Amino acid sequence: MNGIRAVYYREIVNFKNRWIKVWSASIIYPALFLLAFGYGIGKNAHINGTSYVKFLIPGLITMSSMNQAYGISLEVHISRYYYRLFDEYLVAPIKRWEIVVGEVLYGITKGVIPAVVLLAYAIFAHLGYRLGLDFVVYFLLHLCCFSLLGFIVAMVVRSHADQAAFSTFVMTPMIFLSDTFYPIEKMPPFVRPLGYVFPLTYSTKLIRGSLLGLEVNPLYKFLLLGLALVLFGIALFVARRAEG
Amino acid sequence: MSEVEVRDLRKRYGRIEALKGVSFSVEEGETLALLGPNGAGKTTTIKIMTGLINQYEGEVYYRGKLFDAYDVAMKKLIGVVPQHNNLDKDLTVYQNLKIHGLLFGLSGRRLDRKIDEVLEFTGLLEHKNRKADELSGGMKRRAVIARALLHDPEILYLDEPTVGLDPAVRRSMWDFIVRLRREGKTVILTTHYIEEADALAQRVLIMDRGRIVAEGEPEELKMKLGRFVLEVETENGIEEEFFKSREEAMERARAINAPVRIREVNLEDVFLRLTGRRIEV
Ligand SMILES: Nc1ncnc2c1ncn2[C@@H]1O[C@H](COP(=O)(O)OP(=O)(O)OP(=O)(O)O)[C@@H](O)[C@H]1O
Ligand SMILES: [Mg+2]
Repeated sequence: MNGIRAVYYREIVNFKNRWIKVWSASIIYPALFLLAFGYGIGKNAHINGTSYVKFLIPGLITMSSMNQAYGISLEVHISRYYYRLFDEYLVAPIKRWEIVVGEVLYGITKGVIPAVVLLAYAIFAHLGYRLGLDFVVYFLLHLCCFSLLGFIVAMVVRSHADQAAFSTFVMTPMIFLSDTFYPIEKMPPFVRPLGYVFPLTYSTKLIRGSLLGLEVNPLYKFLLLGLALVLFGIALFVARRAEG
Repeated sequence: MSEVEVRDLRKRYGRIEALKGVSFSVEEGETLALLGPNGAGKTTTIKIMTGLINQYEGEVYYRGKLFDAYDVAMKKLIGVVPQHNNLDKDLTVYQNLKIHGLLFGLSGRRLDRKIDEVLEFTGLLEHKNRKADELSGGMKRRAVIARALLHDPEILYLDEPTVGLDPAVRRSMWDFIVRLRREGKTVILTTHYIEEADALAQRVLIMDRGRIVAEGEPEELKMKLGRFVLEVETENGIEEEFFKSREEAMERARAINAPVRIREVNLEDVFLRLTGRRIEV
């Protein structure tokens, strides 16, 4: 447990030096999307009987929290390869899983921020979401998955360029094709399969379902849970393999 | 039983054979220097011994027990000062040390007291709350050493402790390392400075291209060549001849009709004799 505490402490102290950036990014991006899509083109639109804004905000929550959680990737990569801080973890009497858990907790911490901002807005605007335990569970699973993905990418890629490529070819399409701004069922048939490959689709459906009180295919819960476990296994594997 | 023992360490990085069978042991309280040119395999050896590299051949033993990178007690026994200062540059000295303390299971008042103690010992107490990035090169190096000492390791690894430091700071670092030995620590250091190995180590391992090419006390290694060198300027550059005493060297010098210089043998001569090359290029 010492390892988790140390890794988390390290990240949080660093984070405190940069918190303004994270908070402002957490506000600006969703606000722009909300203005452009929610109150712009989608102003009078409805999706399955729900106003578009009410449909959109859960998508913005998953999108922006995913960005924050996955965003640990760059930080982990820099601290490992450029500052060699990882070596401190490797010579310490801790287990590798503690490093993984410490970083995931940090990813969760960052991912909660945009959700807090958007939910505060939703309450203020009387959008009427249901905030239940199911939402909390799905949201945490969602953050675990993307923090783990960020960690894995950080440990596997060799350079900044590879990392940027992963963002461009995987993360960005995922943001747009995963039921976030636009229901996947209404997308052109040829991109739909791609949407169903992205895990963000399932976490968005679950989180939106819990907030709107809608039925969601129960299979999705197990998919998300299974994915979190698989990613944890991979993260552990790459952490064990890591050398200084 | 030796404090540390390594047997037949081998390590490849792709096509490069960084270590080609390295074996040695270190006794309790001893200061051992791994001396060798760039790329000799000094850092690789230390990385294997401290758990930074886990894919290698050969064995490492601490007090007779096979090294296991997940053995908490074994890890607590060792402290590591890496070749490159890996401080968290945006954090203060205190915060950097605190992370290390937490990693080693220290916390609360006890940790704060230990931090003050090592900062006092390394002369950094007044810089406790400065950002690591703002420290001078010598102070950064001392901060990394303070960090390595925080959990009271009994075996200390110093990978190039004075690299990049100016001569005056290097001297004070030497005094500091001597103090560590007096505290009873076992010190394993690497260097490519001849004088450093000479000044600090009770025993020297000379490494070259992944192998240990000589081992012994500095005096003993030098004595094998002789005590004095006669440097003779010839058409093909400087040629060296070795003698047991200054008198013998002077006698020979008188017999030669060329500019000469007599000096004491150093570890560089030992290296040169063994490998045909110089350490510092
Ligand atoms: N991560 C790595 N990948 C590939 N080759 C490496 C790696 N680390 C070291 N090497 C190679 O292994 C050999 C030994 O390197 P090592 O760093 O152990 O030498 P060293 O004695 O510490 O040298 P220096 O005095 O420059 O620090 C060198 O040929 C080096 O190029
Ligand atoms: Mg080295």
